[in-house]
Amino acid sequence: MLLAACAFPAPATPVIFNRDIRPVLSNNCYQCHGPDSAARKANLRLDREANSRAELKSGSSAIVPGNLEDSELIYRITTSDVDEKMPPADSHRKLTPQQIETLKQWVKQGAKYEKHWSLIPPQAAPLPIVKQVDWPRNGIDHFVLARLETDGLKPAPAADKATLLRRVSFDLIGLPPTLKELDTFIADKSPKAFEKVVDRLLASPRYGEHMARYWLDAARYADTNGYQYDTHRNMWPWRDWVINAYNRNLPFDQFTIEQLAGDLLPKATLQQKVATGFNRNHPITIEGGIIPEEYRTEYVIDRVTTTAQVWMGMSFLCARCHDHKFDPISQKEFYQFMAFFNQVPERGNSGFTPNIKVPAAGLAKITADLAAAEQSLKNREQAITAAQTKWEKTFKTEPTQAAWTPLKPVKTTGGNGTSFKLLPDGSTLVGGKSPASEVYTIRLHTKATGITALRLEALTHPSLPHGGAGRAFNSNFVLSEFEADASPSIRDSQRHAIKFASVAADYSQRNYHINTTIDGKPNTGWAVDGPTKKENRAAIFIATKPFGFKGGTDLIVRLRFHFGGHHSIGRFRISFTESASPALNDTLSIPQIAALPSAKRTAQQLKRSRDHFLRTAAPPEDKALHVKITALRTQQQKLKSAGSTTMIMADMANPRKTYVLHRGQYDQKREEVSVGTPAALGTLPEDAPRNRLGLARWLVNGKHPLTARVAVNREWQRLFGEGLVKSTEEFGTQGDWPSHPALLDWLAVHFTGSGWNTKALLKLIVTSATYRQSSRTTPALLSRDPENRLLTRGPRHRLDAEVIRDTTLAVSGLLVERVGGPSVYPYHPKGLWMELNNRPNYSRAYKQDTGDKLYRRSLYTYWKRTVPPPSMATFDAPEREFCLVRRSRTNTPLQAFVMLHDPQFIEAARHLAKHMMDASKKPEDQLVYGFRLATSRLPNEREKSVLNGLFKERLAFYKKEPKAAKALLSVGESRRQENLPEVDHAAWITVARALLNLSETITKN
Amino acid sequence: MNPLSINRRHFFGRTATGIGGAALTSLLNENLFAKPKLPDLLSGQPGIPHFTPKVKRVIYMFQSGAPSQVDLFDHKPSLEKLTEKELPDSIRKGQRLTGMTSRQKSFRAAKSFSPFHPHGQSGTQISDLLPWHSKIVDDMCLIRSMHTEAINHDPAITFFQTGHQQPGRPSTGAWASYGLGSANKDLPAFVVLLSKNTDPQAQPIYARLWGSGFLPSNHQGVKFRSGNNPVLYLKDPTGDTPKGRRQLLDSLSELNQIRQAETGNPEINTRIAAYEMAHRMQMSVPNLTDLSKEPESTFKLYGEEARTPGSHAANCLLARRLCERGVRFIQLYHRGWDHHSNIPGRHPKITKETDQGSAALVMDLKERGLLNDTLIIWGGEFGRTVYRQGGNAKSFGRDHHPRCFSIWLAGGGVKGGITHGETDDWCYNIAKDPVHVHDLNATIQHLMGIDHERLTYRYQGRDYRLTDVHGKVVKEVLS
Repeated sequence: MLLAACAFPAPATPVIFNRDIRPVLSNNCYQCHGPDSAARKANLRLDREANSRAELKSGSSAIVPGNLEDSELIYRITTSDVDEKMPPADSHRKLTPQQIETLKQWVKQGAKYEKHWSLIPPQAAPLPIVKQVDWPRNGIDHFVLARLETDGLKPAPAADKATLLRRVSFDLIGLPPTLKELDTFIADKSPKAFEKVVDRLLASPRYGEHMARYWLDAARYADTNGYQYDTHRNMWPWRDWVINAYNRNLPFDQFTIEQLAGDLLPKATLQQKVATGFNRNHPITIEGGIIPEEYRTEYVIDRVTTTAQVWMGMSFLCARCHDHKFDPISQKEFYQFMAFFNQVPERGNSGFTPNIKVPAAGLAKITADLAAAEQSLKNREQAITAAQTKWEKTFKTEPTQAAWTPLKPVKTTGGNGTSFKLLPDGSTLVGGKSPASEVYTIRLHTKATGITALRLEALTHPSLPHGGAGRAFNSNFVLSEFEADASPSIRDSQRHAIKFASVAADYSQRNYHINTTIDGKPNTGWAVDGPTKKENRAAIFIATKPFGFKGGTDLIVRLRFHFGGHHSIGRFRISFTESASPALNDTLSIPQIAALPSAKRTAQQLKRSRDHFLRTAAPPEDKALHVKITALRTQQQKLKSAGSTTMIMADMANPRKTYVLHRGQYDQKREEVSVGTPAALGTLPEDAPRNRLGLARWLVNGKHPLTARVAVNREWQRLFGEGLVKSTEEFGTQGDWPSHPALLDWLAVHFTGSGWNTKALLKLIVTSATYRQSSRTTPALLSRDPENRLLTRGPRHRLDAEVIRDTTLAVSGLLVERVGGPSVYPYHPKGLWMELNNRPNYSRAYKQDTGDKLYRRSLYTYWKRTVPPPSMATFDAPEREFCLVRRSRTNTPLQAFVMLHDPQFIEAARHLAKHMMDASKKPEDQLVYGFRLATSRLPNEREKSVLNGLFKERLAFYKKEPKAAKALLSVGESRRQENLPEVDHAAWITVARALLNLSETITKN
Repeated sequence: MNPLSINRRHFFGRTATGIGGAALTSLLNENLFAKPKLPDLLSGQPGIPHFTPKVKRVIYMFQSGAPSQVDLFDHKPSLEKLTEKELPDSIRKGQRLTGMTSRQKSFRAAKSFSPFHPHGQSGTQISDLLPWHSKIVDDMCLIRSMHTEAINHDPAITFFQTGHQQPGRPSTGAWASYGLGSANKDLPAFVVLLSKNTDPQAQPIYARLWGSGFLPSNHQGVKFRSGNNPVLYLKDPTGDTPKGRRQLLDSLSELNQIRQAETGNPEINTRIAAYEMAHRMQMSVPNLTDLSKEPESTFKLYGEEARTPGSHAANCLLARRLCERGVRFIQLYHRGWDHHSNIPGRHPKITKETDQGSAALVMDLKERGLLNDTLIIWGGEFGRTVYRQGGNAKSFGRDHHPRCFSIWLAGGGVKGGITHGETDDWCYNIAKDPVHVHDLNATIQHLMGIDHERLTYRYQGRDYRLTDVHGKVVKEVLS
């Protein structure tokens, strides 16, 4: 508050409660004399007018309007008696003489209270009258200029065209203008020239990417789950939804409703469900020992605080543990609000459901094409079968026994509560309760007499965790022992254990080899890397001698799972073979299959023989059709794996009960509550659904006091560096007083009235005279308005981490402009992930991409919360572990290291140097060309001479040290431009590096 | 109020973001073409330290995964009788357990698998697993009555290092950097060193533990990695000569100054200062990590392991070297203490990794006269249960135990050779002088000259501090 008071010294009269008094009371008194009933002292409440007048125990009143002598408050803040002095010494709070004076003035003037400004719905005031009538371009400028004129200040002159174009390009698309764009704009003398530029930028696909990037911070978006092991997640379909929503200018009310409650909309589309990923972006833990309800509670509270923060600019969090100390939000209201978000059918540990499968674009068409092609083939079934039968007769080979025959279990039993369901394909799906350790006992019957081996298949199924084959939360299983015994069906007393000579599996996890399933040791076992490989697996157990009794054999197979943690197989199938040399897969040759009657062939054999026939011997049109189908299948497979399962919101059919949690503790349930909004902010309409949809609509009904203000303030902050309310994250009583209250309200009303049109809002702001001012400043002006709160000049600040990298890529011509898709892995220091987490199966190394993916826009860079992309974290990018609406902006030596030594930047300099060399034959023109690319302006003579000096020094050096030139040229994966002389290129790279490192290059001004 | 004083205070208050200090510099510097006086990049907050600090720097040796107090520090003759006995409900008192043992049916106590002996003048009992620790007991202030709230690693480590179980708050080192600023011109104020992990089951750690939370991000810890390239991007991959680098920097600086004069943008000076400091760091860091000039005696003291970059011993040695160069907060992490199984087999291995280096650091600092104004903290995020997790009397594990555990302090302002706090006969509850995590953090700040109730930062309308609304300085351990 002190800072705000500095920038806007309070005029002597009259005192305005919201601006001058509330911050002082809130900061110094409300802790003990505010809304929190539990913490209230002396039964005195100073946040409400009536209470402030009430008679206290002592008989006096805190405030007697107009009477300084009788007002206990004034006595207490002015007394020198240490015992009576307020605020008390141990609070470490102290009023300044100026604040005491203001409080006295206020009491003198009648001590009027006002409702906190941000809780009164905004109203558009008429545009203020200004003296300099030719300055304003739109309504914004009236408010700004009126404020300046009150203080006897003048706006700055307009920025030159190049600066303005650069500024607006950064602000709307996050990239600098190209030289062509610069030339076009400078040459365009029409009065609409700037408007045309703005329209062009707003229509660019780069706009949605740039806007989305800010939203990702607020939505705590990341590509990993956070917390301890920080494993991978797929939320990029949600990220792409955001980009798309901005690009199609989805009105902010709809943008809100779809993200908060898209799933509850009537006939919700897939994309509307994907939008609700907003509130599944919070971190989720997989730590083994946690108490699930503790973490589930944290997830729900994260949704509450994020939603409140993003749409209402309020921190509800204080009210998690007690009534809010400053704002009128009770603890009960906090949990009523929480009830909206408490209905997700989710778990605390590995709570990755509910989710939805999002197919890759184009999959539907391929699938339809494939179905049509397959139908054509099917239509020719009879003819093909006939032709194939004829063809197969040409082979002369003796029939061979089919390799593996599945056995249908007669009965399967397991641990307490485990259930088994036989599926049509002979496999058994395990369900029901999942004991930590398990033994499956499978009874089978066969008439075969020469069984040489048994095969166990562990098969995936959608009902199992993450659709894998195991029952553990991470999709894995550990088969400790595989045992079988056999007896003649007629005589169980002859039961004996089958001994196995050897085992084999198509895959074994490191340290969990299949061999360990017959070693008799319960603490070893076979596992399959379930967390990363969700695939069907097979293992074969080869008996020491063939077995099977005449008259039938009763076989009992026992699968032992002693690892614990529910590591059992979720779906299995047992088969046998009588083959003399059992192998994992069906190894019959085509002629051998051809010799089998088709009724005896397995499905796989049928397919193999048919495919072979179609490929090699079918009539040409069938052959062509087969080729087409194969190609379509490959494409379909590719697109299917490019599709993604992403988390979404959903509400349970039977609502979960919500309680007030004492001290915010998950296990301290008190009063039961139902959904509701804090009374001070308004209530849901009678007919609104009592769920997230009702809540979302309430936020954007146009009457909510905060939603529009908070939204426009965030855009203002983006463009000007600071919001009109500087505390973007806090609009409550502890937040900052707006620099231009009437302007904020005017913009909010305008925004709502425009149908929440975000592009229109941005256009309005960037076309104002306020925005177009030059950012040049003088020491005098700096001292008067150090943070430009009065808007005496245009905005100027360092670019954000992502914009710095994108700009470097754009300037060097490396930027790959492709919207959306899975996140990418650009350059990254070696070993960074593994040094924090090298636990087998729970960690992985950063696998750097190659080619185009190294040069995508930074919002596509893979975001791992526990190791955020280091070059961006150095430039104040957050970890994304929680909602953030205002980044810090610092300058550190580590940033210099990134700009100077990250291969991404050196490689970019190499390409920039190439463009400079290609642009002209004259060194001076080459230099000017590069300078202009980096800064959007022409260098002056001094600048040219410095750069020229550098070039000459470096040229001389590299001539002497061609090896050093080679080293410089070899940084980065892209090929070097070999037509360029190495020494010259190296010298130019140094100049390009200087250009990319200029303070100006990474500054918007 | 004098407007000038408001502005001055305002500027100083903003130096963290790099704007204010520079603005002031340019204000005071009328001749803009003269070489500008460059601003301090990391100055502290006005009025801090609140009182005369006892220490200038802190070295925190964090033992991630949680060492067993039963087997290392908390000598319990009472367990001789109680071992193999079922933990009574009267002792457990319904204490919540982790998901790993909550379904266990039996909770049999297991005494320390390693004998204890008294050492030094103080006669402090130390496990035979820590022969080097036994040599520093008279400098150690052993706290046997630590307790915490979390029962699992992520929330517990986050709680220790940021005062809150969930992500979002600044780390202890970030608070120190924010409050006190940097004490040297060539290195960051807050440095993080990680041991290379050797235990395949070790828990990971995460950037938030040395993060800046809602504080300006220049206060986050700078991780020094083992090997030739300790600071990210510090090494120039172009293989340029120092002279060449200087040429580039000089040109850059000159261009930036031209622009500064042109536009009056004070932030440019801050950026020039940042590049200058980067240049100094580039010179000083290789020198810092180059151990070749350390005499043989150093490796006798820290052990031959100290020659292996990334070992615990090497990081202890590096901590001393950082200490000598005035780095304010040095945070070490060693992982792999989380022994849910076979603790008698695994604890001896990890104590061997950590014992000598930890003790050597104390001895070395003492020898160099640096221990007086350095605070050393050694400990994990919670303790381990007295009862067995799985196994049998010979080979068993111990689960997480938040109710009582041991850590030790040494150095300036702290009493050496004392033991503070006691646990009950079962080593399950605290019997005397409990020390909460917030109390420890309050004490660390106190020793640095910070009143933990007064170093606050306004975020979302609330004045946050490291100790939330809790914490009491543990006066009994102060000298």
